[in-house]
Amino acid sequence: MITLQLLVNGLALGAAYALVALGFVLVLNATAAVNFAQGDLVMAGGLLGVALAPHLPGYLPLPGLLLLPVVLVLMAGLGLLLAAAAYLPLRRRPPVAVFISTIAAGIILQNGASVLFGPEPRAAPPLLSGGTLDLGGLVVAEQSLAIIAVAALLIAGQQWLFGRTQLGRRLRATAQDPEMARACGVPVTAMILITFALGTAFAGAAGLLLANRYFVTPTAGGDLILKAYIAVTIGGWGSVPGAVAGALLIALFEVGVSSVLSYPVALGLLYATLLVILVARPQGLFGEAARRRA
Amino acid sequence: MRRFLSILSATAISAVFSASLLPGAARAGEASVPVLVPLTGFLSLEGTSQRNGAVLALKDAPAGVAVRSEVIDTGTSPEAAVTALERAAGGKVTAVAASMLGTQMLAMLPLAQDYKIPLVTVSGTASITEQGNPWVFRFFPGDAVTKEAHARYVAEELGKKRPAVIYQTTAYGQSGKAHLEQAFKKLGVEPVFEEGVDPAAKDLLPVLTKALAAKPDVLVLHLHSGPTALFIRQAAANGVAVPIVAGSAMHQPSTAALLEPAELKGVCAETAASPISGGSPEVEAFTAAYRAAFNAEPDAFALGQYDGIRMVLAAVQGGADNAEAVRKALSGGTHQGLAMTYKSDGKGNMAHSAVIVCYDGASRVPAIAKRYDNLTGVVTGMVK
Repeated sequence: MITLQLLVNGLALGAAYALVALGFVLVLNATAAVNFAQGDLVMAGGLLGVALAPHLPGYLPLPGLLLLPVVLVLMAGLGLLLAAAAYLPLRRRPPVAVFISTIAAGIILQNGASVLFGPEPRAAPPLLSGGTLDLGGLVVAEQSLAIIAVAALLIAGQQWLFGRTQLGRRLRATAQDPEMARACGVPVTAMILITFALGTAFAGAAGLLLANRYFVTPTAGGDLILKAYIAVTIGGWGSVPGAVAGALLIALFEVGVSSVLSYPVALGLLYATLLVILVARPQGLFGEAARRRA
Repeated sequence: MRRFLSILSATAISAVFSASLLPGAARAGEASVPVLVPLTGFLSLEGTSQRNGAVLALKDAPAGVAVRSEVIDTGTSPEAAVTALERAAGGKVTAVAASMLGTQMLAMLPLAQDYKIPLVTVSGTASITEQGNPWVFRFFPGDAVTKEAHARYVAEELGKKRPAVIYQTTAYGQSGKAHLEQAFKKLGVEPVFEEGVDPAAKDLLPVLTKALAAKPDVLVLHLHSGPTALFIRQAAANGVAVPIVAGSAMHQPSTAALLEPAELKGVCAETAASPISGGSPEVEAFTAAYRAAFNAEPDAFALGQYDGIRMVLAAVQGGADNAEAVRKALSGGTHQGLAMTYKSDGKGNMAHSAVIVCYDGASRVPAIAKRYDNLTGVVTGMVK
C-alpha cells in the first residue's frame, strides 16, 4: 500500500516537473535558446496564485480551479514580456547572450518577488480542496490528483495544438527552420512570442499546482530549472514526449530511491545517471539530437 | 503589497531616528545604533525579523536617550557586511545591530575589534563567540541551549525513549543534529532513526515512511520552515499518531500559516521565545506594537534583537557614553529582557534559556508548554 502511495506522490511530482520541462523544451525548440528563467517563472506562477486568491472581483477567495485560467493568461503575458526583453533584442547575438539574459531575468523575478512577497514560504489555494481521499487505505491528496489531471490536459492540449492546427504547424515550421518558415510567409517573430507565452503559461500552471502542495518561496525556482534541464537531457533535447518521460522518471527516481536509501543518495545517483546518459547516449533516451543554430 | 508597505514603514521609522533628538531637558545620553542585517537573499526572513526587532527597540528608547540609526541591507556576502560596518563606523557608534548570518559575523568581528564597536546579534553560529573577541554579544540561545531543551522535553516531559531524528542537510541541520545527539546521550536516549533531508526535497513521505518503520515513539525534527510544514502536513494526511517535536522553525508564525490548525494538533517545537503566545503584559505590548509597526507577526529573532538593543539603550541611560562603556555594561551586566534574563558567559553568549511551545489544533498560535531557564547556569540567582 505504501508503495502505491509513493507511486501516486511520484506521479504527481513528475506531472508538475513535466509542465516545467515542457515549457522549457517549447522555447528551446522554437529558438534554440536555453531559458534559464523557467524555474523562476514557475515561482512567479505560484506567487501569482497566492496574490490573486483573495483579490479577485468580489474579494472572495477563489479555489485554484478558477484561478488557473487567470494565472495562465497573466503568465502568458509575462512570457511575452520576457521574450521582448530578454530574447528578441539578442536573437542574432551568440547563444551565450540569451543564456545570460534569461539568468538575469530570473534574478530580477526572484528579487522582485522577495520585495513584494517577502521571503517566507507561502501556499497557493488548492485546485479543488485541500483534503485527502482514503481509497481503501491508500491516502491520496486531492491536489495530487488535480496536478496529474491538469498536467495531462495541458500536455494533451499542447499535442493537439501542434498536431492538428494551422498555428501548430506554423510553430513547428518555425522550430524546424526559422529562415525557411519566414520565406514561406510564416510570421516567425510572432511565432516565437507565442512560444514564449505558451512556455511561460505552462510554467505558471506548474507553479500554481506546486505552490499548494509543496509551498513557494522567491528562491524556489533554482532547483526546478535544474530538474527541467535534467528531464530534457534524459528525454532528448527537443523531444516533447522525452521531456514528459524524463520528468516522470526523475520524480519517480527521487521518491523511489529516497524511500529505500535517502534523499541525498537519490540526488547523487540522479546526477550520476545524468552523467552516464550524457556520455553513453548524448541524444537522450528518445533520441532526438539537438539542433544547433547560430 | 502589504509587505512592500511594511518595508516602507520600517524605513520611515528608521529614517526618523536619523535626525531624532528627544527633548533635551532630561537627556541621559545619545546612542548611535546602525542596523546592519540581511534583508535580501536566503536569510531575509530572519533578517527582516531582526531589523524589525532592532527598529522597535530604538523607537521605544528609554526616557532621556536620544537615538540615531540607519538600516543597511547586508545581503548574503561577507564583503557586503564588512562594507556596511565600515560605512557605519564612519561616525560615532554606540553599538551595531549586526547580521545573524554567521559568515558575515565572522567577517565583521576583526573590524569590530579594530573600530571598538560592540556587535549585538541573534546569530546562531557557534564559532562567533569562540574567537576570543570581546566585542560580540549574542542575544539568542545557540544549539547547545535549545537542543538541550528539545531533548529534555522529549525524554523528561513526554517520557519518550525511541526518537526518530529528521534533520536538514545544511550547516544549520548538521549543527542541530550534533547537539541533539549529545543531549540525548546525556539523557540515556538512543535515536532509532536519523536521516538528513535536502531543503529542495519536494516529497517527504519517503523519509516519513522509513522513520515510522523504525518504530519510534516520537518524531524529532530539525528542519527549515518549508520542510517542517511539508513534513507535518504529510504526517497529518497519513494519520500519523506519533507525536512530533519540531525545531524552532515551527514556532515562526509564517510556518504555522502554511498549515491548517487541525494539522498542527499536538505538534510542539523548541524556540528561544514565542512572543505571539503572550505570557506577560510586556510581551503582549511588544507583540501589539510590532504588529502595528510592521503588519506582521513577531518571532523569537525579533524579540531577541529587541532585547539586545534594549540592553544597549539601558546601558546608555545608565551613563555609558561611549562604545567601550557599553561593551563593559554588556559584558558584566544582567538584563531582564522580555524573552529571558540575559548575562554574558564571558564569551558574549547572553541567552541561556529556551521554551517549548505546543499547538492545540484550534489555532495557529502556540501555547508555552515548558520553560527551560538558565540551562548553562550562567545567570546567578536563577534555578537551573
